[in-house]
Amino acid sequence: MDLRSSVEIITEWDIVAARQLGRNEAKKAGFGTVDQARITTAISELARNIYLYAGKGKIEIERVTDNGKFGIKIIASDEGPGIPDLRKVMEDGFSTSGGLGAGMPGVKRLMDEFKVVSETGAGTTITTTKWLH
Amino acid sequence: MNARIPILKLNEVLIVSIQWELDDQTAIQFQEDLLNKMHKTAALGVVIDLTPIDFIDSFIAKVLGDVINMTGLMGAKVVITGIQPAVAITLIELGIRLSNVMTALDLENGLDKLYKELEA
Amino acid sequence: MNKIMVEGINKNMDEIIERWIRRMKEEKGERFFHFMPDHLVEKTSREFAELMTSNITDSSAANTERINDFTEKVVRFGWAIKFVNKAIDNFSDVVFEFLEEQEIINEGNLRSFNTIFRNWINPLRESIIDAYSTEWERTVSLQKIALQELSASLIPVFDKISVMPLVGTIDTERAKLIMENLLEGVVSQRAEVVLLDITGVPVVDTMVAHHIIQAAEAVRLVGAKCMLVGIRPEIAQTIVALGINLHEFTTKSTLQRGMQAALGMTNRAIVEVEAN
Ligand SMILES: Nc1ncnc2c1ncn2[C@@H]1O[C@H](COP(=O)(O)OP(=O)(O)OP(=O)(O)O)[C@@H](O)[C@H]1O
Ligand SMILES: [Mg+2]
Repeated sequence: MDLRSSVEIITEWDIVAARQLGRNEAKKAGFGTVDQARITTAISELARNIYLYAGKGKIEIERVTDNGKFGIKIIASDEGPGIPDLRKVMEDGFSTSGGLGAGMPGVKRLMDEFKVVSETGAGTTITTTKWLH
Repeated sequence: MNARIPILKLNEVLIVSIQWELDDQTAIQFQEDLLNKMHKTAALGVVIDLTPIDFIDSFIAKVLGDVINMTGLMGAKVVITGIQPAVAITLIELGIRLSNVMTALDLENGLDKLYKELEA
Repeated sequence: MNKIMVEGINKNMDEIIERWIRRMKEEKGERFFHFMPDHLVEKTSREFAELMTSNITDSSAANTERINDFTEKVVRFGWAIKFVNKAIDNFSDVVFEFLEEQEIINEGNLRSFNTIFRNWINPLRESIIDAYSTEWERTVSLQKIALQELSASLIPVFDKISVMPLVGTIDTERAKLIMENLLEGVVSQRAEVVLLDITGVPVVDTMVAHHIIQAAEAVRLVGAKCMLVGIRPEIAQTIVALGINLHEFTTKSTLQRGMQAALGMTNRAIVEVEAN
C-alpha cells in the first residue's frame, strides 16, 4: 500500500483527478461519507487555487498516524506568486478573482488541522489534515 | 469528454438531472445551455436534481448560485432537489447557504413544490 | 537482604494491610474505605498489597497484566489518581515503619534499605500511574461515545414530521454528530418538517446557537424545514442578550406548539372525534 500519492496540477482536468484520488484514499482509509465529502471538497478548493493563482503545482495525499490516531494529510504546494496577506485570504468572502472567497476559510473549517506557509514571489504550501474519529 | 448535461422540458417546466461529477467546463456549459433553453421555451420554472452528486466545492456552488440568480432575473422559479446530507454539511462549512432558492427532498417533491408555487 | 525483607512482609501481611487501611481511612475526602462493604475493602486491599509486593525481589518486571487488572478495578471504584498515589506512599511508609519495629531495618542498614525501597516503589508507581491514565482515558472516551449515541436520534412522529430531542451540553464534536444524524434521518425518513427540541440543553451560548443555526440551514438544503422548540424563558433571555439572530427560522416555546405548527405546515391538523 502506498502511503503517499500525488497529482500534478497543470490543467483544469487535474483538479478532477486530484479530488478523485482524494475521494478514493479517504474511502480506503475508512472515512464516512461526510468526511469523504469534506476531504474531496478541500482538495478541490486547494487544487483549483493552484490552477487559478499559481498556474501549476502539486497535490500530495498521505496517510498519517499520530499517537494512535489515523488520518489523511493533504499537501498543496506551488511555486507561484505567493499570498501577500494571509490574514485577508482567511476571511470569508475575500477573493481576487470574483469567486465566493469561500475556499481558504472553508478548507480550514472542513479539516481538523490547517497550516499555510507562503512567501511572496516564491510560492505557497498548504498542509491540512483530517483525523479519523 | 465534455458531455453536456441534458435539460428536459415538461409543460412549462425544465428538468435537469445532474448524473455525474461536474468538472468546471461542464458546469459553465450547463449555465449557458440552461439560460438559452429558458429563453427559447419561455419556461416558468426549473428543477435541478443533484441526487447523485457527492460533493460541491465553492466553484460549482458559485455556478449554481449564479444560475439561480439569473433564472430569477428571467422571471422563473428554481427548486434544487436531492442535496445529500454530506453535501449539505460541506456546503454549510464552506459558508455557502444558497438562501434564495427553494429546496426539496427529491425530484417528485420538487415538482410538487414548483407547481404549487406557480399556481400561487 | 531482600529476602529478609520479603519474609518479614509476608509473615506479617495481615498486620500491614490492617495498618494501611487504617491510615487510608484517615485521608481527607476519602470515601471508598468508609462506604464500601468491609469484605470488598478487604479484598481490594489484599489485591493492592499483593500487587505492591509482587516485584520486591525482581524490580525490573512489574507484572503488567496484574497492574492493568487492578487499575481497571480502582478506576471503576472511582479512586482518584491522587488517592492512588497516596495509597502507594502510605503502603511504603507502613512497610518501612513495620520493618523498623521488627528491627529488620536498623541504623546500620538504613541506607541500603532506602535504595531497595526506591528501586521497589518508583517503577511500580510509574507503571500503576501509567496504567491508570490509560484506563481512565478509555473510560472517559467510552462515556463520551455512550453520551453521543444516547442523545442524537431523529424520531419519526407522524408522516413527514420528525423530532430530535437534544439532551445535555453541546460541544463541537457532538454538534457535528447531531448534524449528521439529523440530515441522514431527514432523508431516510422523508421528513418535511423536523423539530429540534432543546428543552434538555442546559445552556445556549453563541457557540451552541451557531451550531443550531447551521443545522437548520443544512436541513433546508436537503429540502426540509427545521423548527426550534422547547425554548425556556431563560434561554430566550440569553439568546436576546447575546444578540443571536434566530429570526430566520421558526421557533416555538414547547414541543406541543411546535407539533401543531408542523401539522399546519404539512396541511394537517389534529381533530377530536366524538365517541359513539
Ligand atoms: N496557491 C495560491 N497562490 C496565490 N494566491 C492564492 C493561492 N490560493 C489562494 N490565493 C489567494 O487567496 C484568495 C482567496 O482564496 P479562496 O480560495 O479563499 O477564494 P477564491 O479562490 O477567490 O474563491 P472561491 O475559492 O470561493 O471560488 C484568492 O482570491 C487568491 O488571491
Ligand atoms: Mg479558491
